[in-house]
Amino acid sequence: MGAKQFGDYIVRVDKIGKTFDNGVVALKDFSTNIRRSEVVVLIGPSGSGKSTFLRCLNGLEEIDSGAITVDGIPLDDNKKNRLEIRKEVGMVFQHFNLFPHLTVLKNITLAQMLVRKKSKGAAEDEAMQLLKKVNIAEKANVFPSQLSGGQQQRVAIARALAMKPKVMMFDEATSALDPEMIGEVLEVMKDLAIEGMTMVVVTHEMGFAREVSDWVIFMEDGMKVEEGTADHFFTDPKMDRTKLFLSQIL
Amino acid sequence: MRSSALKFCKRHHLVDIFAYLVLMLGGTLLLLRGAEDQGYYWQWFRIPKFLYEFEDGRFIAGPILEGLKVTLNITWISLILTYIIGLVTALMRLSNSLLARGIARAYLEITRNTPLLVQIFFMYFVIAPILDIDRFAAGVLALSLFEGSYASEIYRAGIVSVNKGQWEASYTLGLSTYQNYRHIILPQAIRRILPPLTSQAVSLIKDSSLVSVIAVYEMTMNANEIASETFLVFEIFFTIAAIYLALAITLSRVVAYFEKRYRVVN
Repeated sequence: MGAKQFGDYIVRVDKIGKTFDNGVVALKDFSTNIRRSEVVVLIGPSGSGKSTFLRCLNGLEEIDSGAITVDGIPLDDNKKNRLEIRKEVGMVFQHFNLFPHLTVLKNITLAQMLVRKKSKGAAEDEAMQLLKKVNIAEKANVFPSQLSGGQQQRVAIARALAMKPKVMMFDEATSALDPEMIGEVLEVMKDLAIEGMTMVVVTHEMGFAREVSDWVIFMEDGMKVEEGTADHFFTDPKMDRTKLFLSQIL
Repeated sequence: MRSSALKFCKRHHLVDIFAYLVLMLGGTLLLLRGAEDQGYYWQWFRIPKFLYEFEDGRFIAGPILEGLKVTLNITWISLILTYIIGLVTALMRLSNSLLARGIARAYLEITRNTPLLVQIFFMYFVIAPILDIDRFAAGVLALSLFEGSYASEIYRAGIVSVNKGQWEASYTLGLSTYQNYRHIILPQAIRRILPPLTSQAVSLIKDSSLVSVIAVYEMTMNANEIASETFLVFEIFFTIAAIYLALAITLSRVVAYFEKRYRVVN
């Protein structure tokens, strides 16, 4: 992976903090910067704040303190800025969250037409291309409920890509899948990484993290415990906590 | 093993039907007996002319059918208003604006915790002169506001029942709040709330009889007048009850049909 070229910083996260209404502290002074075309993988025990971090990046959760900018746009109370960031940051969910009342094709064309103001024809062309890319073009006219979990997740990835996002976030995208379907989704994610998509990935798939990621962040209790390149992180972790975690899951 | 279980089910079914018939027959006999004990003199033969007449071979609607026309008019206009008011109120209650939530809350508390009859009087004697509307409009407005408050709870429950992930997905894709409701949330909510919304329509048909108190000449009002003129109290009121029943059942059936047609696999 050494030949990969990174661009400037596209996501800047400066000391963000988040406490939920029930008093649970999800993020504490968390900072990180992500470069264009970089694949960052967040790992850590459940409840460590990985998913909350992703959800803060596009404003699904409000941060209590600190600052986030995406491609130079600050994520603040300004609705226009917010909308811009929502458009530029694609998200793939653990439970796919496809729209059950729309066909696969319409799932992918809807936002293109409503938000990007594309014509129906152009949106459908784009959708078909993306469906081919995720190897599921033949299912364009069925409803999500007729698809397997792996197929649904690939459609969800195509739906997010249709918005031409600058950053893609994956929130445990394979955690709800049967084991035999995890591979097909990881394959699509790997292709995206190779194409140079900027990706922030929360996952428990250590094989994927090791092979695809450029930077690994290990989190616990809303804080960074350790970070580094995949090589460093998996072969030569410094912190005892990291070693313990890796020994438990590898 | 399996076939004997099936046989048992079938026989069970027959027993059920038999029991049902016996019950219905018993109930009818009881009713007739009760009427007889009162010494009531049934004069059903006098009823048809209040429904309709033929003059020179031409069909002329009697006062009951004329009233039915008004009842139907009240019902469909109120129904549309009810659905609009209900939806708007539900969206107000779910909005971020404190003002909108407050208004919706006050409206709901008032309409749901006072008798409809009083609301109709209030609308006719207090509000109607201010707005300069006639009694028909006052009746329709009172009914719509009353039923709308119940409809709004139905909408709200339907909207809230849509999985949170749907909101998140549409937010992430950049849809506006309006686009989200219009294309994602409401289409899914509607399918769930169609049955309770229908029963709302059915109660609207029945409650429309209450606007007779402000002398809107709908079916119940006309029936009242005929009854007090002719003393055919039971015949007249049974007749209009049967008409209300037929209306309500027809409506339920129509909606059940649509519900089946538009059901989605979820």
